[in-house]
Amino acid sequence: MEPPDDLDEYLRGDSALSRQYRRESAPTPPHALDRRVLGLSRGALGLSDGAHGPARRLTPWLAPLAFAASVLLSVALVLAIVFGPQTTQRVDDAPRLVRVAAHPDASANPPLNRRLQLYSSDPKLARAPSVWLADIAALRRAGRNSEADEELRRFHSAYPDYSTGDLAIRP
Amino acid sequence: MLEPMEPLDEDAKLMVRYRDGDADAFSTLYARHKGPLYRYLLRQVRNAGAASDLFQDVWSRLVATRSRYEARAKFATYLFHIAHNCTIDFFRRDLKMRRTARSDDADTQAEPEVPEYQRPDGIAEFAEQQSALLAALGALPQEQREAFLLHEETGLTIEEIARVTQVGVETAKSRLRYAIRKLKKSLLPAEIPVRRYGRERFEQHAINGTARRLG
Repeated sequence: MEPPDDLDEYLRGDSALSRQYRRESAPTPPHALDRRVLGLSRGALGLSDGAHGPARRLTPWLAPLAFAASVLLSVALVLAIVFGPQTTQRVDDAPRLVRVAAHPDASANPPLNRRLQLYSSDPKLARAPSVWLADIAALRRAGRNSEADEELRRFHSAYPDYSTGDLAIRP
Repeated sequence: MLEPMEPLDEDAKLMVRYRDGDADAFSTLYARHKGPLYRYLLRQVRNAGAASDLFQDVWSRLVATRSRYEARAKFATYLFHIAHNCTIDFFRRDLKMRRTARSDDADTQAEPEVPEYQRPDGIAEFAEQQSALLAALGALPQEQREAFLLHEETGLTIEEIARVTQVGVETAKSRLRYAIRKLKKSLLPAEIPVRRYGRERFEQHAINGTARRLG
């Protein structure tokens, strides 16, 4: 005798068997496999693997923009290398040039210990007498007498035996 | 042979769009079918590595033949027709490899022609990690298992299953019928604990009643 046919009942849907099957774990492909297949599908159309819709639309703008930015950055870098250090040197030299103008003799015979002024706190080592006196004379000519007096006082304490001539007299 | 059919389903439209160059259409199509296809392959070959290889192979073939795609049938029948062919190829290769290995080893005693994926030890090992239903599904003959999976995973009708597996409708029907009958039997042992629990409770009541009478 033919056993009762369960097929019709099963095909009607929502059978106990189907419910049980749906309760079972439902494994899905690993993400790496997803990426591979999607990359494959895009590659077949001549698109890059990771390119999505909006990114593709931006690409025509991004490429020249990136190129222009690279060129700009390169030019700026070259300018900074070529002109950067010289500009800095001019700024450092500016005070010396002013002093040279204030004392014509100093330009002819620059003091040997001039560089020590930058590194030493010792008044004797700070400036040579002739340069110091030239600075004081410049202050006098500029009418900055109180500063000139103060500098002269410091000069005497540093060089007590040095003759300062008429620099002590205010005009 | 796939026959002309009813109006295009949504998936077939997506496939046509992909054929015409729309990559996003493929992404949608893939998201809809990746789970059912992966489970169909995994439960057919019962090996995660082989299932992953076949999964990629199926999609590769779909992509490679997209220019020839015509929406003459439900997309699922098209996709699973490819999957069916890939699976059959896999089983043939597997059988051939083991035959070659056996012929190379002449000293070894001849074994019966049972594919590795159907060996009792392999099935038992696989079944340890599965429920009774999935273990019973794994123990089915491949054709019956396939018929059941095609219906459960994709909702294909018997006519569509027949088309995918390239057999007559009656054959497909018969395979599905046998599969259901065997699988339903696997659900029966689940009732045993309930019966046991009922009997234990009955016995406990009886003991309590006796104790009360004696007390």
